[in-house]
Amino acid sequence: MSRLSLADASHLVSRTGLGAEWGSIQQLVGKPINHAVDSILYRRHSMPPPLLHMSKWDRLYAMRKSKNNKRMMMRTANREGKALQQWWSSHLLKTDSPLLERMTLFWHNFFPSTIDKTLATSLLYRQNQLLRKHALGNFRTLLHDVAKDPAMLVYLDGYENVKGSPNENFAREVLELFTVGRGQYKEPDIREAARAFTGWGINNAGGFVNKPKLHDHGKKRILGKVGNFNGDQALDVMLKHHTTPVRIVERFWYEFVSVNRPNRSLMKRWAASFVRSNYNITQLLKLVLTSKEFWSPQNRGALIKSPIDLAVGTLRTLPYSLPRNNLYHQLSLMGQPLFNHSTVKGWVSGKNWVSTQSFLLRDSLLRNLTRGNLRNKKSSMDAKLPQLSRDEMAEWLLNTQAVNPFPEKRGKQRLIRALVLDPSYQVY
Amino acid sequence: MNRRDFLQYAGYVGLGATFPEVASAINLKQLGRIVVLVHLKGGNDGFNTLVPYEDGHYYDLRPNIAISKRAVHRLEGENKFGMHPHLSKLDRLWKSGEMAWVHGVGYSNSSLSHFQSLDVLESGSLSDFNNGWLSHIVPRFKKGLHGVVIDNGVEGGGVMNGRHLHGVTLNNLNTFVKAAKRVESVQMKRRGTSALTHITQTQNQLHTIGEQIAKKVGMNPRPVAGHYSGDLGNGLQAVAQMILNGVDAPVYKVTQPGFDTHSSQITAHGNALFQLASGLDSFSNAMKRAGVWDKVLVVTYSEFGRRAKENKGAGTDHGTASAQMVLGGSVKRGIYGQHPNLAKLDQNGNVRHTTDFRSMYGTIAQRWWHQPSPWGKQGQHPFV
Repeated sequence: MSRLSLADASHLVSRTGLGAEWGSIQQLVGKPINHAVDSILYRRHSMPPPLLHMSKWDRLYAMRKSKNNKRMMMRTANREGKALQQWWSSHLLKTDSPLLERMTLFWHNFFPSTIDKTLATSLLYRQNQLLRKHALGNFRTLLHDVAKDPAMLVYLDGYENVKGSPNENFAREVLELFTVGRGQYKEPDIREAARAFTGWGINNAGGFVNKPKLHDHGKKRILGKVGNFNGDQALDVMLKHHTTPVRIVERFWYEFVSVNRPNRSLMKRWAASFVRSNYNITQLLKLVLTSKEFWSPQNRGALIKSPIDLAVGTLRTLPYSLPRNNLYHQLSLMGQPLFNHSTVKGWVSGKNWVSTQSFLLRDSLLRNLTRGNLRNKKSSMDAKLPQLSRDEMAEWLLNTQAVNPFPEKRGKQRLIRALVLDPSYQVY
Repeated sequence: MNRRDFLQYAGYVGLGATFPEVASAINLKQLGRIVVLVHLKGGNDGFNTLVPYEDGHYYDLRPNIAISKRAVHRLEGENKFGMHPHLSKLDRLWKSGEMAWVHGVGYSNSSLSHFQSLDVLESGSLSDFNNGWLSHIVPRFKKGLHGVVIDNGVEGGGVMNGRHLHGVTLNNLNTFVKAAKRVESVQMKRRGTSALTHITQTQNQLHTIGEQIAKKVGMNPRPVAGHYSGDLGNGLQAVAQMILNGVDAPVYKVTQPGFDTHSSQITAHGNALFQLASGLDSFSNAMKRAGVWDKVLVVTYSEFGRRAKENKGAGTDHGTASAQMVLGGSVKRGIYGQHPNLAKLDQNGNVRHTTDFRSMYGTIAQRWWHQPSPWGKQGQHPFV
């Protein structure tokens, strides 16, 4: 396959963007893979509009102390949290840099921090900017910056981790989830790593502050390495551990290639290349998107659409609309609440996106979106759709063979509804 | 709620109380024995739940967050352990002999990770997490529907994992029956990706189970009496609706969140326990009124307990063993097992478990469902 067909272009666009937008697909049809991938990776990315009117960290934090104020603080935090969810979800609909947003979502799920725990929208908003800044940049920098990010310091209690009374929450998760992974460390590694992170906190302005007086300067033994480590040095020890790059590239596999387990030696090769590039995320992505596995016919339709892929993707692909302000709520119901993951492990993923519970919600959403007057041939909607044959329509909207037969009656809208409600529309 | 709504509501409750099982008398007599699992999500602090108020070490370890001797809710006939004051609504169940506690439930070399420990707890295994513990028992004695998980997220089905377990996860019963009605069964003509197969299998499972549940509860399941709020309350109400309408699932699972109390524990833990007590209070009343309380066994579980010593943020970090609660009309009241030794902590500052969690499952298998226990070695408890 030297040049992209309609099906190839749809495959690439829906896995790197947010939906299978016809305009983007058209631009890629007929291009060689390398050019197509480069045109997606190397382009000017646009940023979301600023979110205004968030309460300052020190004001809300002070209110936590008294019972009456606390209630008011919670109300404020929840209201502003909704505004934050609304802000990002509406940007996801509008952005012309879907890859950047997809990668920001990827890291937001890799390094979760939530409204419910932090109760500080301003910190989450800043973390979101940080994630976007490094989304296609360097993983080492990203990890170091996230570890010092105020929202993360609150989310995993790092700001309460001080000499003599360590709080292990961040140390535990950084080992289990952000770097080396289960089975690579023991409880003493967690305790010692927690000591290395002591002294990192938040100042009144809600920024990061390092307080040497609260830092435990003693010797620590982490993953077999001994030294008077501080937090940054502890992170470097974890980064250098052999399983860390493997775990990152595995996450890329599950994000971009398939729900099935990857081949171990392939992951080792990807990991080695990732380390050679000094943890360059864009280069890793290029490796993945130009790999034989990414384009293999057996990996078409091998991923399950997340609620964002499903809802945002459909709304960006087809001329449907949801009631105003409803999107972030729908995403929460389907299991992908922005800024509110139910655990530090992030949202569920892969096959777990579809349970008997979420299936109904996903199905209802698609039914509601595609409900319309099917008899009206000259509806305004038809005009907004590309002129394609039935088979081309299916190639555009489905990345694998349809399960159900095409509807017998003609009509573009009827066909699209049938394709969107086909089980194969849930995969890509 | 306006006055008219209130009267209608009150009228229904009154009716329900006088004629408990008007619509479904036959079904309820055939009802099999049911287990309602309550997941205390986040890792419940067992020491502040069933409080060892005569244990001096407890007060030494927790100068700021211990439940004072004066505040402990005393249990009739017990002189060492009492309940967190926010559980007092459940005291009537203790008084009527329908409550049991089991001390120190956990396992050796306990993982302090939420995810790994939950995998262990829900699979009933220390190493193989692919199947839920129920998959080793329920399919042996029951055909058709095995269980319903009520979860407001899309996770939470761990105990129901397994190829031979027919279960469903739902959030809201009313929405479920309406939405499931639209789901058609599908046939795959060609082999698809495993992702697509997962979709079609889920769809077919929903089609079958949706039909079964809708047949019993109807398109507009009637509310049951009692006050239900929050995740747990809503879940328990749905469970009550299904049981009282004759849905024949032997297992239900509900969740009370909010137990990961790393900081400022007093308020957070109190709230979570209060919601737990309110929900179970309403639920047990509904079961009693319908005359099925002796067929129901409510059992709590949690991924782990919490650190014996409080932390600097007036909270507690991840721990190991924790007391668990059992309720039901057939329960033999008592406090079972050994209170963990708070003077002998491991290198992480955690207690050693005194009850293997699998003995809880073994008890449910053998003494409740009369099935052989896959966890025979771990023993059992005469709480039922």
